[in-house]
Amino acid sequence: MADFFSSFWVQLVLKLVVAATIIPVVGMVIGFAEMKLSAKMQSRVGPYFAGGRWGWAQLIADGVKFFQKEDLIPAEADRPVYKWAPALVLVSAVAILVPIPLGPSVVARNLDLGVFYVLAVSSLSTIGVLMAGWSSANKYSLMGGLRAAGQLIAYELPLILAVVGVVIMAGTMSLTGIVEAQAGWFSERGWSLGMPFILVQFVGFGVFIIASLAELSRIPFDMPIAESELVMGYVTEYSGFRFLFFFLAEFANMFSLSAIAATLFLGGYWVPGLSESQLNIFGPAILFAKVGVLVFTMIWFRWTFPRFREDQLQSIAWKWLVPISLVNIMVTAVLKVAAA
Amino acid sequence: MVLEKDLVRHLVEASVSVELATPDMTLNIGPQHPSTHGVLRLVAKVDGERTTDVQPVIGYMHRGYEKISEVRTYPQITALINRIDWVSGYANEIPFIVAAERLMELEVPERAQYIRLILTEMARISSHLVFMASYPLELGAATPLFFALRDRERVLDLLESVTGGRFHPNFNRIGGVKPALGSGSATRKMIQDLPKTFLPETRDAMDRVLATCDEIEDLVAGNEIILARTRGIGVIPADVAAAYGLSGPNLRASGVQFDLRKVSDYLPYDKFSFDIPIGTAGDCWDRWYVRLAEIRQSARIIQQAVDGIPAGPLQAKVPKVIKVPKGETYVRAENPKGEMGYYLVSDGGQGPYRLKIRSASFSNISILPWILEGTLIPDIIAIMGSLDFVLGDVDR
Amino acid sequence: MTLSLDELAASVATATGGVVTMTFGTAKVKVSPESWVAALTAARDDFGLVFFSWLSAVDWTNEVQVGDPLVEPVEERYELIAAVSDISAGNIVLFTTDLPKASPRIASLVGVYAGANWHERETHEMFGIDFSGHPNLIKLYLPDGFEGYPLQKSYPLLTREVKPWPGTVDVEGMPGQAESSDEPSEENPEA
Repeated sequence: MADFFSSFWVQLVLKLVVAATIIPVVGMVIGFAEMKLSAKMQSRVGPYFAGGRWGWAQLIADGVKFFQKEDLIPAEADRPVYKWAPALVLVSAVAILVPIPLGPSVVARNLDLGVFYVLAVSSLSTIGVLMAGWSSANKYSLMGGLRAAGQLIAYELPLILAVVGVVIMAGTMSLTGIVEAQAGWFSERGWSLGMPFILVQFVGFGVFIIASLAELSRIPFDMPIAESELVMGYVTEYSGFRFLFFFLAEFANMFSLSAIAATLFLGGYWVPGLSESQLNIFGPAILFAKVGVLVFTMIWFRWTFPRFREDQLQSIAWKWLVPISLVNIMVTAVLKVAAA
Repeated sequence: MVLEKDLVRHLVEASVSVELATPDMTLNIGPQHPSTHGVLRLVAKVDGERTTDVQPVIGYMHRGYEKISEVRTYPQITALINRIDWVSGYANEIPFIVAAERLMELEVPERAQYIRLILTEMARISSHLVFMASYPLELGAATPLFFALRDRERVLDLLESVTGGRFHPNFNRIGGVKPALGSGSATRKMIQDLPKTFLPETRDAMDRVLATCDEIEDLVAGNEIILARTRGIGVIPADVAAAYGLSGPNLRASGVQFDLRKVSDYLPYDKFSFDIPIGTAGDCWDRWYVRLAEIRQSARIIQQAVDGIPAGPLQAKVPKVIKVPKGETYVRAENPKGEMGYYLVSDGGQGPYRLKIRSASFSNISILPWILEGTLIPDIIAIMGSLDFVLGDVDR
Repeated sequence: MTLSLDELAASVATATGGVVTMTFGTAKVKVSPESWVAALTAARDDFGLVFFSWLSAVDWTNEVQVGDPLVEPVEERYELIAAVSDISAGNIVLFTTDLPKASPRIASLVGVYAGANWHERETHEMFGIDFSGHPNLIKLYLPDGFEGYPLQKSYPLLTREVKPWPGTVDVEGMPGQAESSDEPSEENPEA
């Protein structure tokens, strides 16, 4: 039996199945959470009818609704580009999940360059956004797409720089290695307590969260989809299942980036006091709990703040986040060398 | 030598390609748009994110009120005109009724005047709460919408309990107010006054409104992003505002201490003490803050009026068929959106000969071409929202 | 020094060579069309009437297509009215001038008050009065192909042509009650 499961092809199939199902499931759960949480914050009830009084089937109903809609493509649209744009955005969200460890040996593929791979793949979605904005043959979409491109490119840099501090502290770019570094931080003194990197890399954590909100185009950085100005920005001309891809991709990206943040800063699948085999079983639940806290914070921000204007957004990225994260890297490096 | 010539030619070509101007894009904002307060269309020539020229196109809601008024009687017109500025329904009727009463030289009983005043201030609170709800939504914050509208429901419920209508009360009559709870011809003998629970419920509602103002101020006023989006945006100097006829909170935000409630006598405001909030810079932030302060002042006025309302008849003695004697007059009032006035030309008939309606939002948005020149597109939305206009008021 | 409305109107009239009428609390100063712009410039500069409230016209005609005709015949003209006010004491003065019906034209006030722009456009498309010197005298409200000037008394209401106006009707009684035989009451009749 164990041989069966350790066969490469069986594991490959399992991983593909998990990857294919995790995105819709996670997307729906996070979408439902957003609806209910925002309702509570606004003294409303939220989804109520679908699936009994709790309304849990609302997202499923929405998914079915999107799927059965007519596939409309604007007459002037650039057809192949139009069709491939949502796929690109969704694929980049899924691909980020590959190196994320759910347990010490529960990982799709433990890449040595985990951090590098993740950051590189997450910037693929920028191309998808530009493709969507350009190919829609609509002035609003074009403006939304250009705004999005500017914003996403601007915030790539703080995202990357924020992570460099963690890499310096952990000494490795592999995500599993980073979690183990947090777990075993005080092991040379014999403590099994460990230290999540957020305690010392709080600057990096803050910059990472802000930059990931911008990468997700969520309020306060949702100029590209500014509903009250550009109708829906680069997504205006999409309907039906293509829109569903964008919709799911937003929540999937939320999950992916929160998972990265939880792994890098909060300790990932590890809590003090559990042995390795126990972590293999409970690890996913622990990771999901940490991800849940971060996702809750993102939803909370969305319904509290208004949105920044494009030039204010850019000046925050270039004038504030990049210098702050550079200083963070310097200080981390100096302290690491001094402590050694 | 050859190298230099190549260099020069390369530089010339480079400079030409840099100077290739991209043509301006003409962007149509509206008439269907999530945030233009109705069917307003802005034809904007944009260069990237910056506009060069903005022309508003109005008239999508023109209903021909002035022409219709020439073929209607005064009570019929009262039913029509509260649809001009539908957000503050009751306040539209007041200047018209006062103009007709001036021409008839009627003395309106005090109780009726107090009731008119209370309902007008409730209309002001209702209109400003709609602004509190919709303006942060246009900037992206979705939550103040629900807080403001939740408490607006209380005020609208009060209005409904007295007048029977939330938005179109049609409650004024020439000479006073309508006896509450209906009086068709069969029940005309049965004059009913305000509902019994109206006064205590109003006191509760005003306390609740004041608490909501504090809540909204906490949520919105301290928020850095809102300040960044509204401070210094859309500055209107006081002399430009006066020249364009900007009135109401827009004018007061530019620093002009002018409120028709203090200087005109269309309603007994001189019996109550209240302040006039004034802005300093004339930007979007000041226009928001002046309206929030005005809600507080209106609640204060209502509390004083409710405590001091006199007993008495609700309507002066008027003949069954109202004929307003010959004359002309212009009466203006401080409506929530600004100055609303009616120039009534009467020839002694059952309806006016000419009724000119001066609506606040018409003049308020006539400043848009001046102020929107050279702004960024997100700022267009911020500035337009801060002027707080309603298309029914613009187009009549 | 804050003047009362009467004093202000009187001094404005003497300064601009106009005739003042106080009517039911409203001050009207009538000037000639030639001195229209000069009078309003003086109002703005010398008397502090910097707030431009509105500008419109009244069509005084004896034969009307719409509504009731005038009880006593008047001299047929357009009465152009511009209301300007100060922003301290709340005094508002209505400047009026008479324009002939044949081809009414007058100088534009856009140079004096910027807000006159839209009001003059509206008056032009509603009455047909031509404002010379206006930068952009095109339609404001009405659709592009609209012909005619609606607010003129000679402009008919189409529905009245099709079906005569029933007039103010009696309020019908509630079911089960006798029909009300009263004259139309001051309440809102179901017209």
